[in-house]
Amino acid sequence: MSTPQPLSGPSGQVPIPGEDVSSGATMSRRSLPASLLVGAGLVVVIAVVALVSFLWTPHDPLLVQGAQRLQGPSGEFWFGTDRFGRDVFSRLMYGARTTLLVGVVAVGIAGLIGTPLGVLMGSSPRVIGEAVMRFNDLLLAFPALLLAVMFGAVYGSSTLTAMVAIGIATIPVFARVARSGTLQVLSSDYALAARSAGRTKLAIAVRHVLPNISGLVIVQASVSFAIAVLAEAALSFLGFGTQPPTPSWGRMLQEAQELVAVRPSQAVAPGLAIALAVLGFNLLGDGLRDRLDPRLDDRRGTG
Amino acid sequence: MARSVRTILIGLAFALVLAACDAGDTVDPDEATDPVDDVDGEPDEDDTDDDVDEDEVADDGEDVAGLSIGFAAEPASLDFSTDDGAAIPEALLVNVYEPLVKIDQEGEIVPVLAESYEVSDDNTVYDFYLEEGVTFSNGDPFDADAVAFSIERVQQDWTIGLASQMDIVEDVEVVDDLHARVTLAEPSNNWLFSMTTRIGAMFSPDGVDGLDEQAIGTGPYLVDDFARGDRIDLVRNDDYWGEAPDFNDVTLRYFGDPNALNNAMLADDIDLIGTVQAPEGLSQFEDDDRFEVIEGTSEGQVVLSFNHDREVFEDQRVRQAIRQAIDRESVMETSWGGYGELIGSMVPPTDPWYEDLTDVHPYDPEAAEALLEEAGAGDLELDFRVPNLPYAVNAAQTVQSQLAAVGIDAEIDLLEFPAVWLDEVFTEGDYDMSVINHVEPRDIAQYGNPDFYWAYDNPEVQDLLEEADRGDEETFAENYREVARIISEDAASDWLFLAPNLMVANERVGGVPENNVGEMFDLTVLERT
Repeated sequence: MSTPQPLSGPSGQVPIPGEDVSSGATMSRRSLPASLLVGAGLVVVIAVVALVSFLWTPHDPLLVQGAQRLQGPSGEFWFGTDRFGRDVFSRLMYGARTTLLVGVVAVGIAGLIGTPLGVLMGSSPRVIGEAVMRFNDLLLAFPALLLAVMFGAVYGSSTLTAMVAIGIATIPVFARVARSGTLQVLSSDYALAARSAGRTKLAIAVRHVLPNISGLVIVQASVSFAIAVLAEAALSFLGFGTQPPTPSWGRMLQEAQELVAVRPSQAVAPGLAIALAVLGFNLLGDGLRDRLDPRLDDRRGTG
Repeated sequence: MARSVRTILIGLAFALVLAACDAGDTVDPDEATDPVDDVDGEPDEDDTDDDVDEDEVADDGEDVAGLSIGFAAEPASLDFSTDDGAAIPEALLVNVYEPLVKIDQEGEIVPVLAESYEVSDDNTVYDFYLEEGVTFSNGDPFDADAVAFSIERVQQDWTIGLASQMDIVEDVEVVDDLHARVTLAEPSNNWLFSMTTRIGAMFSPDGVDGLDEQAIGTGPYLVDDFARGDRIDLVRNDDYWGEAPDFNDVTLRYFGDPNALNNAMLADDIDLIGTVQAPEGLSQFEDDDRFEVIEGTSEGQVVLSFNHDREVFEDQRVRQAIRQAIDRESVMETSWGGYGELIGSMVPPTDPWYEDLTDVHPYDPEAAEALLEEAGAGDLELDFRVPNLPYAVNAAQTVQSQLAAVGIDAEIDLLEFPAVWLDEVFTEGDYDMSVINHVEPRDIAQYGNPDFYWAYDNPEVQDLLEEADRGDEETFAENYREVARIISEDAASDWLFLAPNLMVANERVGGVPENNVGEMFDLTVLERT
């Protein structure tokens, strides 16, 4: 993994031509990738909507009003009302909260457990590291949705069980990324120098490894965030995630299912919201990868 | 930039996957319905009352003998003696297994395998005179021995809860080949009625092995093939003793997803929807000349049940407050698309002792709040455990919102149906409030059973029900009417609405019964058009 030349990040992208190795950080600051801008924009919009929903929504997202059911989009109900007469737009706003919460918690669990595990395995003797990582590969092959459905069956369906299950299922991903980054850093000259200077493994991990793999982990986090959002939507769609009447985009899709023939807009709104959120986090991850190319971090560490 | 394009493509792919999901062809465990015992995942279909809508569509001259019917709840096996669930008798009773008597489309008890029957004056001795020349599909003759065998087998070998209704039989005497005499331990008005349900099905003494895979009865159809979870293929029994049914073979197909069921009908994969589970989608059929939507009533009361073992429900005022806080009209709107009927108690309008009790405890949130205050139950918190069936989840959300309006916090907890809900709510009684469609005929009697999951213990009701069962027909109807009123005024539960019996038929099938008053989907009344 200690590739000297030419530069190539994990995404296999060739770095921007004319890039000066010693001024990588400055360089990337100058050229913000479009994907980063679009992705960050979408994510910020969703976050703002979620925050605003705490203070204000056009209507009460939980209030059932039989008289106003299944109305089309209008000045009063921007995206119409659902079969309960609840305002779809207000529910979408509220649902953004659920979506972000799930992403944060699931990715938090995965990152906080997976990353240290990966670093530890990267610093451990090769035999142990390899053995644990093969077991890790086994877990990696276990579908997150299946685990979440199992959790739902055992502990009862709720947003929390869905979040925890998705988080646990994502741990191996972070462990894998962190370990490969760790191996790369540990074989670099400065890490070898630190070791020969008598630094403990822990000190090297904290001082050299973690800062240098943070880019990798952040990129992975944003991609995993997108996957978690999608998984929550899928689980709620199947009835294993968020419980009614709490709005969740996946649940809204499910409730719209029956109405597809009558009110297709009911399914389009949450479907679009999910698609945009996933797209946003994916683009963000992609853009971050451009900015936080670990090769460049490598230089920074060395320099 | 190439990467961004790729990411956008990935995003679009996700969007497509989601779009595929809401197209409705995913099997959704949430919608799985497997009704058990006297609670049911869906409003049952079938059999009837009053006038029957005829398809007014012209015969296109096509001679297709087969018929395909779609249902939502799949049978766990073919054996209704050990497996609960309304789907098994729905498919097999009357069609494959015949009882001595059945409920006809006017709700009357009429003879089937019994050519006639006599009841002694004290309602304890029943003489059944059997049809001659009837044989089981394994070649065995049907005679009084088979009657005695079948009744005794219910008492000894059946494991489902309903089998206890046969406990009252003291003796079955074989008078001669075609004459069986049943003696009851005490008079009962309900026993003959219960003989029209699955427990009255007649079995051959040599035909009860491997019942979960095969069915040997005297009926007009034979089970040709049973593909678990998918379909039951029935073929006409050429040796049938009675009038041959119109259709040569009938396929009963089971769809886990209500939208898939609707789509199969739209795509002409099936000729008849036995139970419409997605009523919001009905407009697709109403606007199309190829289809006829049949709306009748069922015996399924969608009940908001209160657990009377819980302290909060000891006070009648609290129960009444909940009833008054709920706008049942709007619950029906949101739960079943406005189809159905409002009822004020546990009696469907098709029962002779029905009385309009919808005015008892009418919707009045202010009165409800006042009652709660009076009862000192200001901050009521309820554990609202709901089966994850579409109608129940929908009803629960409306109820939850309306209760919130009067200051009651009912927290919805969805439980997988049937397994988890049956275990935790129905069997263990671990709940405050729940919603389920009770489809069993005459299940008002459960208010006299303190061991039932709602644990309603009212000696007056128990006495009235017991007296009804022993008394003559008039006492029976009188007492049932009174019980219905007492439980309504006492707010023993809230009866949200009577589930509709919604079916969709295409132009090939006629004679579809409007109302659902029994346990079976009677295929013999269907006509080819």
